[in-house]
Amino acid sequence: MFKDLNPILHSQLRLAIVSILISVQEAEFTYLREKTEATAGNLSVQINKLKEAGYIDVAKAFKDNYPQTVCKITPLGVQAFEEYVKDLQSYLNIKK
Amino acid sequence: MEQEKELTGQESLELISRMISKAKRDYYDTGLSSLLWGSTITFCSLIAFVNYYLKWSVFDYVWFLTFVAVIIQGMISAREKKLRRRKGHDEDLMSGIWISFAIAMFLVSWVLSWFNLPFLTSIYMIIYGIPTFTTGYARRFRPMLIGGIACWVFSMLAIFTPFPYVMLYMAASAQLAWFIPGLILRKRYLKANKENV
Repeated sequence: MFKDLNPILHSQLRLAIVSILISVQEAEFTYLREKTEATAGNLSVQINKLKEAGYIDVAKAFKDNYPQTVCKITPLGVQAFEEYVKDLQSYLNIKK
Repeated sequence: MEQEKELTGQESLELISRMISKAKRDYYDTGLSSLLWGSTITFCSLIAFVNYYLKWSVFDYVWFLTFVAVIIQGMISAREKKLRRRKGHDEDLMSGIWISFAIAMFLVSWVLSWFNLPFLTSIYMIIYGIPTFTTGYARRFRPMLIGGIACWVFSMLAIFTPFPYVMLYMAASAQLAWFIPGLILRKRYLKANKENV
């Protein structure tokens, strides 16, 4: 059914993460967790998958002695997201 | 949110739209910087106006309060940066515009202090209008757009107005460009914070 859609992005949580990151320059892990309402473990796994695909950059640092993870979409991620939306739109047009 | 759930095309589009809207709606200026500068410039202008009649020498230095405001601004910016969990696409651009405005104001004040120019207040208000109008335009925030235009209108009126009355224009510019927009931003910010609790 969705053979042509990018399998990395065609997942509820990964798509949610990328949609947020496309709207901002960068976002902290805690922010993504709050907006997606996902568990920390689940979010962490999906962020790693997006990172491995080269769709997002993950920078780890310390802020007030607490670990801080900042995520940012890469140009490859932007391109993949745009293609995904285009594919989705053409699929929905065909369906109509 | 479960990542395993199979999404239909419609659900995917809805999810994208919901997340983008959440992230965009989430940006709220605290309004503190606008309130700080709106109050400082209004206060200094009104003191300069009153002091024309009082002639108290201590009030001649009232504009040095802007240096204190710069320090407070630094503290506000540092605190906002510390609390920020997401960074919008235009935030660096906006910071660049306001930092260049501060540098331009300092340089203009320094350069013009070498000459006894009659339209100094007009020049200041023209410069006030630039970042204010740009911010209002870029963020589609009408109060600042109007504030920026008000600065330019007052700068023209100031040419035909003698001192100390130009100081009233300066105070009005600060109110319209920063203080009133700052109050609106602050109210929005506090409301958004209350909703997120």
